[in-house]
Amino acid sequence: MTRAELDAALARLGLNVPEKEREELVGGVAYIEKMAELVKKSRWVGAEPAHTVAFPEGK
Amino acid sequence: MVLDFLTIAEAAKLIETKELSPVELTESRLARIEQLDGQLHSFIRVLPDAALAAARAAESEIVAGRYKGPLHGIPIGLKDIYETKAIPTTGHSKVMQDHVPTADAFTVAKLKNAGAVVMGKLATHEFAFGGPSFDLPWPPARNPWDTTRFTGGSSSGTGASVAAGLVLCGTGSDTGGSIRGPAAYCGLAGIKPTYGLCSRAGILPLAFSLDHAGPMAWTAEDCAIMLQAMAGHDPADPASADKPIPDFRKALSGDVKGLRIGLIRHFYTTDNEANAATRDAIDAAAKKYEEMGAAVREITLSPLAEWAACGVLIMMTEAYAIHEPNLRTRFTDFGEIFRDRMALAGLWTAADYVQAVRRRRELIDELDRAMANLDMVMTAAAPTEAPKIDQVPKFAIMDRPSLTMPFNVTGSPAMSVCCGFTEAGLPLSFQIVGRRFADATVLRAADAYERATPWRARRPVL
Repeated sequence: MTRAELDAALARLGLNVPEKEREELVGGVAYIEKMAELVKKSRWVGAEPAHTVAFPEGK
Repeated sequence: MVLDFLTIAEAAKLIETKELSPVELTESRLARIEQLDGQLHSFIRVLPDAALAAARAAESEIVAGRYKGPLHGIPIGLKDIYETKAIPTTGHSKVMQDHVPTADAFTVAKLKNAGAVVMGKLATHEFAFGGPSFDLPWPPARNPWDTTRFTGGSSSGTGASVAAGLVLCGTGSDTGGSIRGPAAYCGLAGIKPTYGLCSRAGILPLAFSLDHAGPMAWTAEDCAIMLQAMAGHDPADPASADKPIPDFRKALSGDVKGLRIGLIRHFYTTDNEANAATRDAIDAAAKKYEEMGAAVREITLSPLAEWAACGVLIMMTEAYAIHEPNLRTRFTDFGEIFRDRMALAGLWTAADYVQAVRRRRELIDELDRAMANLDMVMTAAAPTEAPKIDQVPKFAIMDRPSLTMPFNVTGSPAMSVCCGFTEAGLPLSFQIVGRRFADATVLRAADAYERATPWRARRPVL
């Protein structure tokens, strides 16, 4: 992500990030992108998330 | 009588037999806080009047023959995300520094009902996430083993105050390791109970689906005593489990014969490589368990980075959602570490979050399969001893994969246990993990190890 792309993303989020912190955030974006890749797996279309509600039996 | 480093179990015995007064114990802890906390910064609010009133009430009850049990008259501290009626609960943040709750958290009420004496509110990383920070209304806590060192976080004040003997135990919370990390760096015992065992109601959230409340103390036995008081069903917490609570202390038999332990070595030898002192200490602990009659065998799971990515992505996106309104309007009222981590969290998409939660189900299944023929797994709690407090990177939680996060992802009971010291005298630790709701087994294994090793006899010199 370039600095211009980050500025645009922060503007869309409505976050007023001080100028001096933005360069560090550009460096941190790599972590975010890597983690997003790590949780993407080739999985069956019906693979459920962990939060699927299971109602207690009898309720 | 020297009161500085009594465990709960030791103090309770003296209190029950009326050899020690809760008032005397409380006064001695207040004096020690006064003497030492100027260098430790473990408290952000000391409550001497309320503590002494509670201690006097406890003493009257005990004298009248109404002894409640091992927490009666015991001085404790509360991480400042646990809400306390009429006492500010700030999350160690300017954003909530004027927040005065109208009720105690469920777990605080339970601890008080058990007779505990609340000494004050303890430092935390901002909203249990961003730290160590030097730009908040209160300074970060310091490690009693070396005050230039990090306590770990986010239950930083609890780690420091218990290790220094300012209180006998304290509450922590753990979303990615915030009980086990400071327990490891400060040389304590700290258990993240099974998700749902302790109510989260009345505790400022970091990430709803990963937050756990739990005890931190000097020994596994003390954690068992405290967990007994904290655990229990609470309808106000939608994740609260409605299950019978076992007698945790009664489970501490000292015996681990026949226990089957899986050692996840690759987590700390390749995935997040620990230093030699840590690796050696964990290997020695595994050998000790074998000598005590447990069967230890090495197991392999998915790479640690995958577990950490799943947990960190869920944690940070849930936290972003919670704090979004204030981030948009009061961004610079948050500390720089918290707000910049949150700014990165805002860059993930809704699809990223759903993929992480799908990955979470797969990882839960994976650990369940791996533990089908095991009672526990064991790995590192931290890759090194406590680092210097001014050398913790802003994005540390994303830089190296967390060794504790996998068991927030799975909701398993997981505990830090001290397993030695570096040459410089800093604590080392390992982590043991049980099946969900087998918290008593984890405590039993930790207690047995503590009894068989000399590490609990050593305390920081301040």
